[in-house]
Amino acid sequence: MDLRLNFKPMFRINLIKITAIFLLIPQLVFGAYQEGEKIILDEKGNPIPFALVKVDGQKPMQVDESGQVISPSTGERVMIFALGYETQQLTWEEWLASEKIILHEKSGNLQEVVVAATRTERSVEDLPMPVTVLNTEKIQETGGIRLSEILQEQTGLQIASDHGAGLQMQGLDSDYILILLDGEPLIGRTAGTFDLDRISVSNIERIEILRGPSSAIYGSEAMAGVVNIITKNNSGQPKADIALRHRSFNSWNPSLELGTGGEMWDANVFLDHFQTDGFDLTPETIGQTQNPYKATTAQVKINGNLAPKWDLSLFARGYSETSDGLMQTGGAANPELLEMDNARRDINLNPTLRFKPNEKWLFTLRGMSSWFSTNSNTRFQSSGEVFDLQDFQQFYHRTELQTDYQIKPNQLLTLGLGQLIETVEATRYDDLNRFDAGYFFLQHQWDPGQRVNVVSGLRADFHSQYGNRLSPKVSGQYKISEKLSWQASFGAGFKAPDFRQLLLNFNNAASGYYVFGATLAQEGIARLQEQGLVAQILFDPSTFGDLQAETSWAFNTGFRWKASQRASLQVNAFRNAIDNLIETAPIAQLNTGQNAFSYFNVRSVITQGVEVDASFQVLENLSLSAGYAFLDTRDLDVVDRIENGEVFKRNSQNQTRRVTLEDYGGLFNRSRHSGNFKINYRELNTGIDWALRAIYRGKFGFADRNGNLILDDESEYADGWVSVNLTASKTLSNGIFFEAGGTNLLNTATPAQPNNPGRVLFLGVKIPVINLIN
Amino acid sequence: MKTIQKLLFTAAISGFLFSCDSNDDPLPIVPLEAILVEDLAAPNDVIDRNTGEVTEERPFQFFSLEQNALVSENEDWDLAFKGTTIRVNSSKNVSAAVVNGIFEEITEVPANATFATDTESSFAIPTGSGNGWYNYNSATFTVTPIPGRVILVQTTEGNYSKIEILSYYKGNPPVDQIDPRSTPSGHYTFRYVLRPDGTSDF
Repeated sequence: MDLRLNFKPMFRINLIKITAIFLLIPQLVFGAYQEGEKIILDEKGNPIPFALVKVDGQKPMQVDESGQVISPSTGERVMIFALGYETQQLTWEEWLASEKIILHEKSGNLQEVVVAATRTERSVEDLPMPVTVLNTEKIQETGGIRLSEILQEQTGLQIASDHGAGLQMQGLDSDYILILLDGEPLIGRTAGTFDLDRISVSNIERIEILRGPSSAIYGSEAMAGVVNIITKNNSGQPKADIALRHRSFNSWNPSLELGTGGEMWDANVFLDHFQTDGFDLTPETIGQTQNPYKATTAQVKINGNLAPKWDLSLFARGYSETSDGLMQTGGAANPELLEMDNARRDINLNPTLRFKPNEKWLFTLRGMSSWFSTNSNTRFQSSGEVFDLQDFQQFYHRTELQTDYQIKPNQLLTLGLGQLIETVEATRYDDLNRFDAGYFFLQHQWDPGQRVNVVSGLRADFHSQYGNRLSPKVSGQYKISEKLSWQASFGAGFKAPDFRQLLLNFNNAASGYYVFGATLAQEGIARLQEQGLVAQILFDPSTFGDLQAETSWAFNTGFRWKASQRASLQVNAFRNAIDNLIETAPIAQLNTGQNAFSYFNVRSVITQGVEVDASFQVLENLSLSAGYAFLDTRDLDVVDRIENGEVFKRNSQNQTRRVTLEDYGGLFNRSRHSGNFKINYRELNTGIDWALRAIYRGKFGFADRNGNLILDDESEYADGWVSVNLTASKTLSNGIFFEAGGTNLLNTATPAQPNNPGRVLFLGVKIPVINLIN
Repeated sequence: MKTIQKLLFTAAISGFLFSCDSNDDPLPIVPLEAILVEDLAAPNDVIDRNTGEVTEERPFQFFSLEQNALVSENEDWDLAFKGTTIRVNSSKNVSAAVVNGIFEEITEVPANATFATDTESSFAIPTGSGNGWYNYNSATFTVTPIPGRVILVQTTEGNYSKIEILSYYKGNPPVDQIDPRSTPSGHYTFRYVLRPDGTSDF
C-alpha cells in the first residue's frame, strides 16, 4: 500500500500516480479484446501499467493500470516508453499487426528506483548525481551477514576499523556519512563512527548509495554522502522464510521472516540473531582483536490503507548486542587481567502518515524516535573490583512534514518542515543534555527540455547549540544521446558539532589530563583554577567564540554511457573542500605537566578523486564488472607547514631533514588506489550461480612512525591487499535457497586491518515454508 | 647512563674544511664536538591508573651540560628530567628556548629564539604532546621526539648549548621496534653541542 509521488522521465504527462503493489499483480482479462486495443507486457508476460505510447504528431497516450491502451485510428511511427524498460519503436504496420507488445527490461542497474537522492522516487538514469543501487541479488552474492561486508565490495567504499566498522566514502570518515534505514536516520555513534556491523542484511531489499554532499535535503552528517537501507516489504502475500547461516569462527546466523496481509494492508516481521566467537590477529597479547559477541535484531513493519487517499505505515526495530573480553593492564612489571562486559541497545520507532488528496499533492508526516545506549563494565579479574564503568544513553526524536506538489508535468516541488530533539545522558557528561533544532528544506525537480533535467535544493537548519546553517545544492543532467548522459552537481555539506565536542567533561585519571567540550571549557578551566591545578592558561576560554559546524563545498561530475545492450560505463569525479574541521587542542597547562584540552575548528582538508564502474555481459549467463577508485587527500595546514619548511623527519640513523611535498602522503587510512573485479556465472546444467570477486585495497597510511605525526615515510604505510571472495548459490524450484562460499580465500590478514579476520568460509540455507506447504 | 660518547660533529667538520678553503675568514674555526648522551634514565612517577594518584614518586635526574654528567640537586645542574618533563635550573638562571630546524644547520642562536626560565606557572620547555620536544602518538601509544625540534639552553655558566633529543626509550631503538608495553620508557638519548666561550654560534 505504497502511496508515493513518482517523478517520471520527462515524456510522462501524468507525473503522479499510485504505485500500489497490488496493481502489479497480473490482472489479464481474456476474451474482452476489442478492436484497436493493445496490451503492453514484460518479458514474463505480465502487463506493464502506466506505460506511455507516443504516436508521431499526436499527444502521448497513457496506458492504463492493467497495461492496456486503445490505438488511435491513424499514425506513422509509434514509440512505447516505460520506466525500467528499453524504449520500443514500431512502424505503424507493426503496431497495427501486434496485439501484445513486449518491452525488454533495461540491463544494468540504471532502471533501479532511488528514494534517497531526492526523497521522491526516481530511477538512477534520471538522477543528475552519482548513485549506486545494490539490489537483493547483489547483496546475496556477497554472502555477507553484516552491512560492512556488502559495502566493502563496492567501488570507492572502504571499511575502516575505528570504534567499530566505519564506512569511508570519497575519502571522508564515517562521521560524515548519514546512514538511513527506510529513509530515517540511524543514530548511535562511538567517537563519530557508525558501526555498520550493527545492521543485519538478511532482510534488506536494496541499498542506495548516494555520493557527494546531501545536506541540502538531509542537513548535518550528509557531507560525504548518504547510505539508505531499504528493508523488504512483502506484497500482502503470506510468507514465512526461515534461514540459517554458519561460518568460520563458530559464527551462527538464524533468521526468520514472516509476512501477511490483505487487500488494504500488509505486515512483516523479521527476527535475526548473530553470534560469533570473534578472532584474534595478535595471539601473543592478551585479549582478542574482535571479542565474542551476540546480536539480535527484531523488526516489525506494517503498512495499511486507512481510507481512500490515506496511508499509514508503522516501523519498529530493536537491536541488542552483548560482548565480553579480556584485557591486560598495569604494564609488564605487574600485569593485571581485566574482564570487560559491553552491551549496546538500539530501538527505533517510526510511524508515517501519507495523504494524497489529488494527483498534484502528496503530504507525508513522519515521526521518528530512537533510543541508543551503551554500557561498558570493566573489572579486575582477581578481585572483581570495578576498574571502569561507562554508560551512554542517547535519545533522538524528529517530526517532519513533507509536501510534494506537482507544479507542472515537468516540475515537482518538495517542501519539508521538521523539528528535532536530542538528549544525551552519560558517565562522561554532566547532567542530562538536550539539543533542540528545527529545519526546512525546499527542492525543485525540473525537466526544462527533452535532454535536460535539473534538481536544486536548499535547506536551513536552526540549532540551539551551534546556530544556523544554510545548505544549497544544484545538480543537472544533460542527455547527449540515448546512450550517453553527463551529470554535474555542486553543493554544500555540513556536520554539526556533536555532544562530545560540545559537552564532554572527561578526566583521564591515569595520565591526569582533562578534556572539556567547547561549551564547558570556560567553566571547567575556572574550576581547575579554583582547585589550584592550573599552571598556565594557553588560550583564554572566554575568547573562544562558539564552536562552528564543520562545512564543505563539493563538486561532482561524471557520465553514464550505455555503449550497447551488454556494456555500460559510469564515471564520477569529485572534489570536497572541507573547512572548520574540529580537533582537540590544549587550552591550559596543569601543574602536573599535563594539559587540559578542548575542541576547536582548526583544520581544512581536501579530498578528490575519480571512480569508474564498468560492466559487460559476455553471454546470457556470464557477466563481468570492474571498478576502480583513485583518491587523493591532503590536510591544507600540513601542506602549508611543509611549504614553510616547518616539518622535519628523521631516519633510522637519526639524521634529520625537511619533509617535502613529495614525501607527504595525505590523510592516514586512505588508499590512493582501490578497485574490484567481479565475475558472475550461471552454470546452466546445475542452475548454480557463481560469483567470484577480487577486491583490491591499495596501500594506505597506517600510523606515524617518525614522530612528526604526518604520513611522510614508506614505513608508515600498510601493504595493499586483495581479497578473493567466492559464492555459489542455487535456488531450487520449490524456492529453497542454498549458498556456500568463502571470503578472503587467500587468507591475507594484518594487524593494520583489525576488521579483516582472514579467510572465512560459510554455508547457508533459506526455506520458504509457506511455498513448500502450498 | 650507560655510556657517554663523544662524536665528531660532521657538519662542523665540513664547515671547518670549507672555511679552510676560504681566504676571507681569517679566524680559525674551532670544531665543536657533539656529545651523545645515551639512556639517561629518568622514569616517571608511578600512577595508579584507577584513581590517578601517584603511588610512587620518583626523583628528577639532574644533569650538567657543562660537566656532561649527572649531578646532585644542590650542584650546578642545567636540566632536570623526569618522565617527559624537562625542567631548567631557574635558581641558577638557566634559560631555554625551543626552535625548529635541522640540528646541524643551526650554527648560531636564531634572533627570534625567545629564552625563558621555569616559573611557578610555566616551563621553559613546554610539556604536552606537540608543545615541546615530543609527540605522543595515540595510535601506537609511543612518545617520539618531534623531528626538527632543537632545544637551546643558556647554562649555569652562561654558555649556549643546542640539544636534540633522539629517543625516549631504553637503548634508543628504531621507532618501529618500540613496544610501548615492554620497552622501558623515560630513558633519554640526546646529543648536544656546547659553545664554551659564551658566544652564540655553534
